Amino acid sequence: MDATEIPLKAPSVSTDVPTSNVEQIERALIDASTRVPVLMFYTSAIVWLLIGTLLAGFVSFKLHSPDWFSNVSFLTWGRVRPAHMNVMVYGWASMAGMGTAIWLMARLCRTVLRHPLLLVAGAGFWNFGVLLGVGGILMGDSTGYQWLEFPPYAAIVLFVAYSLIISWAVLMFRFRRGDQIYITQWYLLGAFLWFPWLYAAAQLMLFVVPVQGVMQAAVDWWFANNLLFLWFGAIGLGTAYYMIPKVIGRPVYSYHLATIGFWTYALFSSWTGMQRLVDGPFPAWMITASIAATILTIIPVATVGLNHHMTMQGYFPLMRYSPTLRFTVFGAISYTVFSALGVLISLRSVARYVNFTQASIAYSHLGLYAFFTMVIFGSMYYIVPRLVGREWRYASLIKLHFWASVYGIGLMILMLLAGGFLQGANMDNPSLAFSESTQTILPYLRGRSLSGVLLTVSHFVFAFHFGLMLFGLGRTSSVPTFLNPVETEGSEVHI
Amino acid sequence: MNEQTPPPDQRVRQGMDYGEFEEVQEVHAAIQREKREPRVGLEPLSIWLIAVYGLAVFFGGAYLGRYSGNFSGDGLDPLGGPPPTKKAGGAQGEQQQTELTPRDRGKKIFAANCQTCHQANGLGVPGQYPPLAGSEFTTGGSRRPGMIVLKGLQGPVTVKGQKFGTAVMQPWDKTLTDQKVADVLTYERSEWGNNASPVTAEQIAALRKELANHPDSFTEPDLLGVPADAELSGGAPAGAAPPKPGEAAKPGTPPKPQG
Amino acid sequence: MKGLIPLVLGIFGTFTFSWVGLTVIPNLQIGHLDPQMDEEGTDVYPAPKSGMTERGRRVYAANGCIYCHSQQVRADYAASDIDRKWGERRSAPRDYIFDRPVLIGNMRMGPDLSNMGKAAPAEEENAPPAGASPAGAPSASPAGPPAGSANQTASSAAAPSPAAKPAASLAPAGASPPPSAATAPVATPADKTKTDEYSAAWHHRHLYSPRSISIDSNMPAYRFLYEKRRIAGDRSADALQLTGSEAPPAGWEIVPTYDANCLVAYLMSLDQSHPLKEVKGVAPAASPAPAAPGAPAAAAPSPAASPAKGGQ
Repeated sequence: MDATEIPLKAPSVSTDVPTSNVEQIERALIDASTRVPVLMFYTSAIVWLLIGTLLAGFVSFKLHSPDWFSNVSFLTWGRVRPAHMNVMVYGWASMAGMGTAIWLMARLCRTVLRHPLLLVAGAGFWNFGVLLGVGGILMGDSTGYQWLEFPPYAAIVLFVAYSLIISWAVLMFRFRRGDQIYITQWYLLGAFLWFPWLYAAAQLMLFVVPVQGVMQAAVDWWFANNLLFLWFGAIGLGTAYYMIPKVIGRPVYSYHLATIGFWTYALFSSWTGMQRLVDGPFPAWMITASIAATILTIIPVATVGLNHHMTMQGYFPLMRYSPTLRFTVFGAISYTVFSALGVLISLRSVARYVNFTQASIAYSHLGLYAFFTMVIFGSMYYIVPRLVGREWRYASLIKLHFWASVYGIGLMILMLLAGGFLQGANMDNPSLAFSESTQTILPYLRGRSLSGVLLTVSHFVFAFHFGLMLFGLGRTSSVPTFLNPVETEGSEVHI
Repeated sequence: MNEQTPPPDQRVRQGMDYGEFEEVQEVHAAIQREKREPRVGLEPLSIWLIAVYGLAVFFGGAYLGRYSGNFSGDGLDPLGGPPPTKKAGGAQGEQQQTELTPRDRGKKIFAANCQTCHQANGLGVPGQYPPLAGSEFTTGGSRRPGMIVLKGLQGPVTVKGQKFGTAVMQPWDKTLTDQKVADVLTYERSEWGNNASPVTAEQIAALRKELANHPDSFTEPDLLGVPADAELSGGAPAGAAPPKPGEAAKPGTPPKPQG
Repeated sequence: MKGLIPLVLGIFGTFTFSWVGLTVIPNLQIGHLDPQMDEEGTDVYPAPKSGMTERGRRVYAANGCIYCHSQQVRADYAASDIDRKWGERRSAPRDYIFDRPVLIGNMRMGPDLSNMGKAAPAEEENAPPAGASPAGAPSASPAGPPAGSANQTASSAAAPSPAAKPAASLAPAGASPPPSAATAPVATPADKTKTDEYSAAWHHRHLYSPRSISIDSNMPAYRFLYEKRRIAGDRSADALQLTGSEAPPAGWEIVPTYDANCLVAYLMSLDQSHPLKEVKGVAPAASPAPAAPGAPAAAAPSPAASPAKGGQ
């Protein structure tokens, strides 16, 4: 840590410390070496994103118009819904997250990506596993465990795929250069280690040496919540910790905050999960432990939020220009909102009205989409030009992507939260027939379908734009694609 | 390509011996304008943040302390003390025992002993376990089902026109008391659309004495040798099991004060 | 952070801490429960499901019923599940020890199903007199045991009708889940649809066409679980009784597949009404209401309790 270069408190005019040629070439080589694996992960992820979005539309519409396709067994709502979720979790989010993580690891370990075949094979097997799993679910082999619906034959393929990927990650870490381990690398190392342990523990305790009775549900939700925080959350936060300081050219505000943020995040968010089971047939202490842990996650959220905010202090206007910054900051802010909502709905007094309602769907989407997916979109906007040697072609498409996503997810969360609370309030009132609660939420579900249309537009636009880049049809230019024209002469905006 | 790229025939290798051509220049454009890799500052913690930490720890800890139901596996109630004692549960259990009708008891016995084969819906499993619902053996006279339950059944048997024969039914005379056999038969004979008379413990006791010297299982010819409507004799008329204390045998009996 | 080793150790440690705390320790506490047995060993609860009901559980899980239906009754201080008559007491870990996969669910776009089997009407209440449509009546032999007090009274007394009267009179006070089930012990054609609520035939109709049962329902129709075939000779015993636009054309019938039968058998086996010693019941009323310590006063299955409530 070289403290002499770091400006204190007041943001100075951005001193564009020019990087040496050697460094530049090094980066170019690293980027070139990551090209095939990362693009493979990204392309697969985007295809899964499109499939998952179409499935999501189906799920959303069928919830308020249930009579579509009722004759077809593999299109019944109860199968398409887990199919959608697993495609998004294991197809889109995991693969896109891994693609970004691979690039970040290579850059931060400052070494050329070695053994790319491991990653290529890993991506191939992973795709195969997801395909097998989703097919299995639609054909009626769903295991019945939420977030773990993939039948065992698909889970095994995912294990094989991941073992290849984790071997690669270990090798990269082994051969890294430089003695400091940057913040992002903590999070990514954590994510790469936590995921297989989580998945293996869950598979072991549910399928291999199955636990009895309601412990299955406990293990299931322990896994699901930990996946959200320790796999997706860790990758998302790690990415934000790279992209924000990188794009604006300032150091991260405080190392101490980062350290505290990381360890409290690991400690507390791993203990959440049981709050989804509040008032269920479980010993009260485990539910309460999760609720207490959720309250304690205020610590890492406040810490990381402050860290990012102070890093960005004075540089928020740059969000006008940089797509990466825009998406990433939106994601980071969503992370705070997501955590705050999590604390609120986990308290027993609130959970009484929120449990069993669509509000928990809003919570999951806030975490997986508004936070994780948006951060990953931001990272893709940064990384892809460096892999294909072209800039994004149409700023208007980027803007469309951003706003359609923002409005889409915003509307969805609003609809589901409002509807969910009303649904819960109705359900809690025994003088109202149960069907009142489902009737109440119907208009909100329709609103949610509308938001789904927005999200579909957004994703197809992005996929098209990405496809252009993939086929070498991006802009050739040394100037990045800004979202808005840069007004000032000789500005320091270099993204 | 940018302005600096030489025409194709004048390309030279460049870079540090990595065999790269000018294409690297394109990547360089993005990299050239890149800022340096991220680094971290060393700002100290704000006191306000520490205050936030303190509040979070306090509330989280308080919540954990208050709502943990004694940290016990039985503590389902977050505010609760120890679970209800065995004594209270036991007393209720006994009360339960004496308040139940023969059919209730029979249902429990069925669930504990017979259900795995004959299924909860009394339909059995085709080819393996005969159904009891609508079975001529169950619903006819009480003698035949009494024989089957006490001594068991083996060999092929035809029930409701279907053949069964792969499974053997164990004798229950050593496992079940007279009252239990009577109760489970009463249940079977009045469940799933069956509508036959109940069976009493006295009747089973008499049958047991009669069959005392019979070797274990019956076979179909044995059963068919007994008239289908043969009822068991002995004991009180159907439906009137001696009232146990606290139980009202028939509606209309003045209620006994309950404890 | 300089050291890779401390980092990895910390990563491992935080994970293990949560794994042990949230899965291993609770598993030690509630992961090895035995069913509750009375002294004589005849009253065992819960009992493992078998045969068709187990397969029905798989069908339930595979078709994603958990994404709309829960199977857990919350305590009365936490929610109004018990007020809604979804159960007489809260669910406890012991209720689920033989369930694999456990299907407690966490979403209620449809009602809770923990006691769906208990809600089923008694067979003899809706079986028409022998001469009428043979077993064509709402009965694919429901697995669900009848639980309403009316049923026991009707069957334990030799003559149904005198017993039915007190049953009918105490049923309204009893408010068991389908109030209609107990009010008309002898089914007349006019109230057949009311009395057969939650019977096997009702379930089949509901699965085939939810909106024919409840127009507001958002449940998808599970038509692929049913077969349409020509009537060969007599109408099948388990053909669905459908009317109006749902009914098949003349000469055809809708018959459940094996999976549909298994699913319905499973649904009708769902019953958590058996009391558990570790579960505090709802504050009992003056009468002991013994069989269900948590039951609202008059819903006692035992006839003994009912006279005490003054049901004559």
